[in-house]
Amino acid sequence: MTYFILQILPYISVSVLIIGLLYRMGRWASGRIVHNITLTPAPTTQAGALLDIAAEVVFFKSLYKADKSLWSGGWIMHVALFSILGGHIMGIGLLGLQFYYIGLTSEHTSEYLSNLLGTSFGVVVLLALLYLLYRRMAINEVKQLSAPSDYLHLLMLIAIVTVGNIMRFVPEWGIHYEPVRDYVANLLTFTPITPDMEVMHKPLFVLHLLLVQILMIYLPFSKLLHIPGMFAHRWIINRPYVEPAPGMPGVAVGGTGHAVSGGQSASGGVQ
Amino acid sequence: MPLTETGLKQPVKASAADMLKININPVPDDQKVEAAIKHLNELGQKFRSLMLTFESCVKCGACAENCHTYLGTRDPYNIPANRADLLRKVYKRYFTPEGRFFPRLIGAKDLELEDLEKMFSYFYQCNECRRCALVCPFGLDTCEVTMAGRQLLHWLGMVPKLHAAVGAAMAKTGNHTGLTKAGIVDTCEFLEEEIMDETGVEIKIPVDQPADILYIPSSADFLLNPNTMTGAAKFFHYLGVKWTISSEITEAGNFGLLFDQRATLRANCMRVIDEALKLGVKKIVWGECGHGWRAGKMYLPGMLDRPGRIPIVHIHDEVRYYIEKGALKLHKEVNSRPVTLHDPCNFGRACNMCDTLRVVMNACVTNFVEMTPNRERNFCCGGGSAILFDDPEMYDLRIKFSAKKAEQVRETGVGKNGDGILCAPCSICKAQLYPMVEEHELGVEVKGLIDLVGLALYPPLNK
Ligand code: HEM
Ligand code: SF4
Ligand code: SF4
Ligand code: SF4
Repeated sequence: MTYFILQILPYISVSVLIIGLLYRMGRWASGRIVHNITLTPAPTTQAGALLDIAAEVVFFKSLYKADKSLWSGGWIMHVALFSILGGHIMGIGLLGLQFYYIGLTSEHTSEYLSNLLGTSFGVVVLLALLYLLYRRMAINEVKQLSAPSDYLHLLMLIAIVTVGNIMRFVPEWGIHYEPVRDYVANLLTFTPITPDMEVMHKPLFVLHLLLVQILMIYLPFSKLLHIPGMFAHRWIINRPYVEPAPGMPGVAVGGTGHAVSGGQSASGGVQ
Repeated sequence: MPLTETGLKQPVKASAADMLKININPVPDDQKVEAAIKHLNELGQKFRSLMLTFESCVKCGACAENCHTYLGTRDPYNIPANRADLLRKVYKRYFTPEGRFFPRLIGAKDLELEDLEKMFSYFYQCNECRRCALVCPFGLDTCEVTMAGRQLLHWLGMVPKLHAAVGAAMAKTGNHTGLTKAGIVDTCEFLEEEIMDETGVEIKIPVDQPADILYIPSSADFLLNPNTMTGAAKFFHYLGVKWTISSEITEAGNFGLLFDQRATLRANCMRVIDEALKLGVKKIVWGECGHGWRAGKMYLPGMLDRPGRIPIVHIHDEVRYYIEKGALKLHKEVNSRPVTLHDPCNFGRACNMCDTLRVVMNACVTNFVEMTPNRERNFCCGGGSAILFDDPEMYDLRIKFSAKKAEQVRETGVGKNGDGILCAPCSICKAQLYPMVEEHELGVEVKGLIDLVGLALYPPLNK
């Protein structure tokens, strides 16, 4: 079983994730943007529109304006989650030496910082997830919206994060970066793993990885599609918006006649 | 009418005969479900926004407290995400792997006849105001789902009698009230006399005359909001442009946007363009109508099946342009009563017009008080998408949908002496608010924005 989870499942889960996402996004792409449903007020340039989308992605701007408590829980959860994902890559890829490599700290401090950040974000994300779960059960409207899967998504994340945190806090159940790096290197180079590798003997690590892979497998078939969906939908409704300049035929105003809109307007080309 | 057997509140449905007048042969009950699933698939595949809204909602509930229909009724189905779920559950059940294999888990469900009745009820309790899209972290637009839902119901033959009747009148006469050319000419002559009495100036409202400008009024402006019509006439007269209205198309509204975004929306768009070509005008100026302008500005260019070469602008934008050029002498002192502005949702969230409304407002009145929230965060009046049903049960809902608006108006204090003005520059807002300001006893009079422009351009003689 351990062998299956560590050696075979990763290839399956990554394939399902990628193919699943391509399938979903391909379906979206085959639909059209039929009408101009730009949400206004909108910027007048493409750069402005992209900036708006960026603010939505980075700060959850609309949500901030609409619902501060959900924003707090949601934004903190996402930032912590994102940092943790980044942290995984740094920790496993660079063994926690990233701050050393960019010349900020000594080797030792870098590793220490990396651990500290990882541990803190692990706790923060757990608290934020618990708040989101509480909210889902306590706020009547959200409860009325929720299907069983909505709770399960949160419980799944809570489980992953909890196992991760236990590995941090109980060193003998945890695992160091090096053996994980060796393991990932084996996976990436299609080199078979061997029974004496440390990852094979750390049940919590195996559980953590199993849960993550389950999540990867169902991600393209769940509301976690909001990750690409957010970009795809903002692309439709956050667009530049160009005004036609008014001014009527037959009236000169201030001696300058009337401006035309340069052929670009939301109400059709002007000639 | 009618509490149906299931306890749903629904507007009166159009009969089969009514539906035939808008070119739909209703699907018999025993075939409805099958047909609906087929149409839903087509809609989902065509509209990317719809598919994304179906597949990306995280059920966070941010939209709930931001929909005035939910605030007014506390009916869980009026939570935008739940409204969308009426279609989303079905879509997922038939067209996504997760819904096919784990319907219970993700809350997907088979379509039943009763669900269609539920859709008819709740998609016609949505004002298509897009406030939910504004607040959703992904901008998911429940208005798009409502539009798709109404489209589907339309194809099945389920349309409110009100909307079907308006659709038929539009096809026949080119306006929603069924006015014939003779009626229009009569009314215009009457309005010209009114202007004369009021201002002592001779101002014409040309009908079907050769002109540079084709003005598209809302047909409600002939009877219900005459001051908007005369306001526009005063504005054009002041500028000295050659303008006309056309008896073929005296309707700024386009109910196609609201229940049939295919044939009806296109036919109404083409009607404007055809008439503009026939008259040889250089520009089309749209009158005060929120959803109509959304259709004219945002949808029309995509609906035409030939290049549109005649610029289309809104009268508010024109007025702003001339104000900023300093070409209008506005006697704002005649509008000294306290005024607050209701930003029509379609202008604010769909047509980028909030600034324009304020430039015009500030140039025409002396005592303007903003309501909060305002601009694109404003709440709908509760009449949006023309759910202006008169049967007691639906009327009661309209009162509830406008509760938030009433609260906003009250907070501005403009009506405390009973002489306030609620400026609502949209025909449907006006139709909703005329009775609603009475129901909520707000002490304000509902007026259009062009009404105020007209007053400031040609001050009444008795002032
Ligand atoms: C791009 C902008 C994004 C926005 C605005 C956003 C917003 C949200 C919101 C509002 C929720 C709902 C919280 C709740 O359940 O009440 C949520 C849940 C979630 N998001 Fe995101 N998200 C974004 C990107 C991402 C990314 C990049 C990831 C993954 C790395 C992600 C992973 C999750 C997860 C795992 C959940 C938990 C599901 C749940 O709560 O049931 N999100 N997101
Ligand atoms: S705000 Fe958007 S994502 Fe959240 S429940 Fe409403 S529609 Fe869904
Ligand atoms: S469009 Fe307006 S009325 Fe309809 S669900 Fe959204 S907020 Fe509510
Ligand atoms: S009727 Fe007026 S307020 Fe209400 S949706 Fe139209 S524009 Fe919005």
